[in-house]
Amino acid sequence: MASRKIYKKLLFYLGIILIILFMTIPVYILFRVSFAVPEDVLTSHPKFFITRFEFKHWQQVFNSGNLWPPLYKSFIVATFTMIFALVISAPASYAISRFDKKIKYAVILSLFFTRMFPNVGIALPISVTFLKWNLTDKNIGLIMAHLIEQLPFIAWILVSTFETIPFDLEEAASIDGAGRIKTLLKVVLPVAAPGLAVAAMFTWLNSWNEFTYALYLSLSTKTLPLQIYYYVLRGGFFQQAAYSTILTIPVLIITFALQRYIRSDYLGGAIKG
Amino acid sequence: MNYKKITVLLLSFIMALSLFAGCGKKESGPATLRITMGLGEEEWKVMREDVFPAFEKANNCKIEAVQIEASDVVKKLEAMKQANKMDIDLIAQDNMALAPLVDKGLVEDISEFKNKIPSEIIPSLISVGEFDGKLYFFPFRPNVEINFYNEAKLNQYGLKPPANWDELFNLAKTLKEKEGVGKVGIKAVFDGNTTVQLFEFIRQAGGDPLVLNDEGSVRAYTFLKELWPYLSFDSLKADWNTTNRFLAEESMYLAANWPFGVNVIVKDGGKKEIKAYGGFSGPVKASKVLGGDVLGIPKGSPNKELALKFIEYLMSKDVQETLASKLAWPSARTDAYAKVEDWQKPYFDAINEAMKVAQPRPNLVYWADVDKALNDALKEIVVDGKDVKATLDKYHQKIEEAKQNSSK
Repeated sequence: MASRKIYKKLLFYLGIILIILFMTIPVYILFRVSFAVPEDVLTSHPKFFITRFEFKHWQQVFNSGNLWPPLYKSFIVATFTMIFALVISAPASYAISRFDKKIKYAVILSLFFTRMFPNVGIALPISVTFLKWNLTDKNIGLIMAHLIEQLPFIAWILVSTFETIPFDLEEAASIDGAGRIKTLLKVVLPVAAPGLAVAAMFTWLNSWNEFTYALYLSLSTKTLPLQIYYYVLRGGFFQQAAYSTILTIPVLIITFALQRYIRSDYLGGAIKG
Repeated sequence: MNYKKITVLLLSFIMALSLFAGCGKKESGPATLRITMGLGEEEWKVMREDVFPAFEKANNCKIEAVQIEASDVVKKLEAMKQANKMDIDLIAQDNMALAPLVDKGLVEDISEFKNKIPSEIIPSLISVGEFDGKLYFFPFRPNVEINFYNEAKLNQYGLKPPANWDELFNLAKTLKEKEGVGKVGIKAVFDGNTTVQLFEFIRQAGGDPLVLNDEGSVRAYTFLKELWPYLSFDSLKADWNTTNRFLAEESMYLAANWPFGVNVIVKDGGKKEIKAYGGFSGPVKASKVLGGDVLGIPKGSPNKELALKFIEYLMSKDVQETLASKLAWPSARTDAYAKVEDWQKPYFDAINEAMKVAQPRPNLVYWADVDKALNDALKEIVVDGKDVKATLDKYHQKIEEAKQNSSK
């Protein structure tokens, strides 16, 4: 019986290790190629482990003048898309979550209706409109385009989050003298922090990696994914890898910064007692 | 207020300002010529350091050059045209991707400026920019696929790059026997990449790709069917981009690709054993497809006159010699000579060798149908193993129908 338990545990951990490897090996390969001596990887039997470091490729990327403007643009666009999406969606989702069940789902479904069309299908008319409004090649234009894509999803995530917060909490706050806005800011939002963190992370990552709208709405300054796309088509193998590695670094930082808010027991303290 | 709070506030302020990046009014000053090209890093460097400055100085203007790939040019221009707000003055576009630009009315008819083309420009380059007798594009940069081969690997088996179809077949067969997997590649992704190679095979056999069921075409497809089992598996994934990787990673020892691969494979990748030559002949002749870039003016360009001046400048002897010397681009002019760097010389020779037998593809309004017919036929013949003649008869019919529909 005990040995069966050990086997089960072993299998469990083996599964976890396999999943981790499956996720991390491609990132490692990117990193590895970005520092590779050409003859170590450009062969039919490339070396998996790094035995020699070559910093030339990173130097070329840093000296090319093509790194900082796209990196900055991507960062600004992703961050403000996240902020605006939260500011717009959080109160709206809170209100929706308090609707009658039927109305709530009708509203959510109608929001998703806008996502029924593929981006490539609506990117042209959207970019035509943005061009008329003089919003191409501008951060604010791209942020607005990204919001079109992100708002329905973030609203969906947040409605589900607010739904799980018991109405009793708000009533308790009201008895203690808090108004509706104060209740939302001081009671509901802190309790909804994990959901907000998930929504923020989701929006930031989607905006950071977004390609179609960036392609249509950028001309002189590109976003980082667009820059990588051009390197994939035109550049050398090593610079592609270096750019792609750079693309993953902010993702790791943001994920690390926000993951601590994601806890399964977040309602525990609120409804205890 | 502590430092932390001040830093956060400052950063927030800077970020908030960045929101409106590019929203200010344009300062008045010298005219700005906005051009698009699809170039590699090295090529941009030469453009920015050796080509643009002289024109900017002579015309008191500023050139704003942006990277847009040929496949994205149509999307951008379409949006700008629909918004009635054309932001681009000049495009340098791959001559394999011109039909949609003309078809959608995105570029100016520049027939009245045909006299601006210098008499020294290679005549076949001019016809590339003509559709239905009208000139839409000026010649700029001719290009042709060269055949890359791994000299070290071929030497290892006592093999030489093939000069004709028989040698190509024997090489593919020998390499497969020696290595256990095919090492000769063709671009068999069944799109425009494959079309270029099919045009070459058909013409090498004396056929006409627009007829498709003539003797030469049958011969070419029959040969490809015989060759198919000995080709690299990666042929099915090989396009103008991935072919560089397959050659560098040695999953292909012989494959044709555009000369920009020299910088990617040899200069950046350090694979000095990858050499190039002009290619092999077919049973009738040697033939290559004439590729390259041409120059067009988008409809509604805000600086049309300056764009025309810049086009003349790009076609000039000085610029063509600079591009040939610094980038090993074949010249569009008969009187432009180049002295390329030593390491580039063998590749430049290969390009010039291939250029001698380069023929343009016809510009057709029903090009998409021809493209599809050629590729579908290849897929059915080599992948599904269907009969060559019957399949080509079927697709000949489809091309004929497309031709008739286009003339209605």
